[in-house]
Amino acid sequence: MSTIAETASRGQIRRRMRVDGWRWAGRIFLLFMLLYTALPMIWMLITSIKSGFAATQFPPQWWPDEPTLASYQKLLDPQNSVGQDFLRFFWNSLFVSTVTTILSVIVAVPAAYAFSRFTFPGRNFLFFAVLLRNMFPAVIFLVPLFILMRAIGLVNTHGSLILTYLTFGLPLAIWLLKGFYDNIPVQLEQAARIDGATRFQAFIMIVMPLSTPGIIATAIYSFIGAWNEYIYAYTFLSKNDQLTLPVGIQRFFSENTTDFPGLMAASFMMSVPVVVLFLVLQRYFVRALTEGAVKH
Amino acid sequence: MAHVVLKDLVKTYGNFKAVNDVSLTVNDGEFVALVGPSGCGKTTTLNLVAGLTPITSGDIVIGERVVNDLDPKDRDIAMVFQNYALYPQKSVYMNLAFPLQMRKLPRDEIDKKVKEAARVLDMTHLLERKPRELSGGQQQRVALGRALVRDPAVFLMDEPLSNLDAKLRVQMRSEIKRFHQDLKATIIYVTHDQLEAVTMADKMAVMNGGFLQQYDSPAQVFAHPVNMFVASFIGSPAMSLIPLEASTAPGGTVLTSVEGWSLGLSPRNVQKVTKATTKKVVLGARHSTIKLHKSAAPGSIPAKVYTVESTGDVTFVQAFLSGAVVNVSVPPNIAVAPDEQIWLEFDQERMHLFDGETEMALEAS
Repeated sequence: MSTIAETASRGQIRRRMRVDGWRWAGRIFLLFMLLYTALPMIWMLITSIKSGFAATQFPPQWWPDEPTLASYQKLLDPQNSVGQDFLRFFWNSLFVSTVTTILSVIVAVPAAYAFSRFTFPGRNFLFFAVLLRNMFPAVIFLVPLFILMRAIGLVNTHGSLILTYLTFGLPLAIWLLKGFYDNIPVQLEQAARIDGATRFQAFIMIVMPLSTPGIIATAIYSFIGAWNEYIYAYTFLSKNDQLTLPVGIQRFFSENTTDFPGLMAASFMMSVPVVVLFLVLQRYFVRALTEGAVKH
Repeated sequence: MAHVVLKDLVKTYGNFKAVNDVSLTVNDGEFVALVGPSGCGKTTTLNLVAGLTPITSGDIVIGERVVNDLDPKDRDIAMVFQNYALYPQKSVYMNLAFPLQMRKLPRDEIDKKVKEAARVLDMTHLLERKPRELSGGQQQRVALGRALVRDPAVFLMDEPLSNLDAKLRVQMRSEIKRFHQDLKATIIYVTHDQLEAVTMADKMAVMNGGFLQQYDSPAQVFAHPVNMFVASFIGSPAMSLIPLEASTAPGGTVLTSVEGWSLGLSPRNVQKVTKATTKKVVLGARHSTIKLHKSAAPGSIPAKVYTVESTGDVTFVQAFLSGAVVNVSVPPNIAVAPDEQIWLEFDQERMHLFDGETEMALEAS
């Protein structure tokens, strides 16, 4: 009896050790990934608080001798020309991204709901047609879209960018949201309609609140897409006062080749809205909102 | 409360007829069960009455109104879903209040009605909870409460008990039955469980393949099934159906088996057999109407035991007869072993005879 028990426990120990080995390999891998993503950002942050001279020193200063917020002050000061440019680019980016996000949610929510709930002629064809755009690299559409925008007189307007970003963002937004609506039991709407709601009320009062995580994910996705986009903004806009941040920062880089702290400060501030947006909204992702709705 | 009339109701999906010319009347205060196997059209019929699915043709009358084109919200109905469909983001209180809010009742009246419904269903202490914090049985109660809080003309229930465990199901069965008696409510209740239908309903509508097979009280459906489908669907264990052939023997008309034996018939049963369209006749017998003999008795038929299932207070014996499985129940003190030779005697008064061709029940006159 005792030998059997010993063999069994030894087997268990060996099994546990093997599992632990994998767990450690996973941790090391994650640590590596974390360093890989975080280090450049940390270096960006450190450089942004150096003086121009310290930034180009070799060997580099790991922590600046004289940390300074001068670059940030310069960028955020509406009095000098650099600050004026930066704030205008920032405002342009914010405007284009926000409008893109709002429009994309307004269009994607009903479209995804229709694809999820209704059967209509050409439904499958339309659904895949919507995705067709995303099967090609974005650059392929650069010239055709430019010609199109020129024809309808939208070159050098923010409208051209918003329209373009919508053609990129909407298909995936619709696809993503459709998945959410597919997972909301149709009986909830039916119950609401029997309880006295119209079909539209049932959608607004019952289904919409339950799809909040999907809508937020969609919004963040469109916002980030529009906020970071470079090549279309570079092609469609040529007037300085209309540029968005990615293009603006690139100009900044070529005009002020030596001002690394300024460049890094601008890059850092560009990433702030996205991070804030994500931190504020992330708690909505975590909760499974339909839990308890139906019994399977 | 109100009565419900379905008249020549048809629902087609493309070429598929899900509901086929169903006509029936549910009287005021009646509990009607729509029962049938999966895919028989019972849930579709309920959705047509609810207005969740548009009808193809026919008429639905609730109370005095033809409701064919009315939205669900205007039909004055309440529905309990199989999966309960509670609003997950709302508390139990708000779930119960929702139908009243949608009807724009004043706030204090809503409060009174919600609390009254919660008291009746014994869930006052659950009002502040979210559906996900409730057990299956409690969720079921909330779903029921949401239906009764509004005092609708008709209650529609779509298999409300089939997601509960066996013990809770029996308990809720009697609660719903009680609820019907107290409220004198008109209830249309869909189930695939014939036992639920038989025990709860005033009348049952047996459906198969989109057709209404029989619509009558459970006792009538049990005693006089109109065809072989109803006969085999209602009752547990199922009625044994034995395919035989009518032939003329010196003593009168008898039923003969391919196995060689023949069964004499009472004059009344002979009369029934003469109504058959062909010689093919199917003999139907419920387990309790067949007598099991250990030795050959006059009028009994030899068979071999296949399996024996003891339930404690009754033992079910299965035997093969003329290619069909025959269920017989015997008291537990009679010991029967598999492969044992037995003799079966059919009760002439309580046997059913069906036309082997049309599968319809044969009647004496």
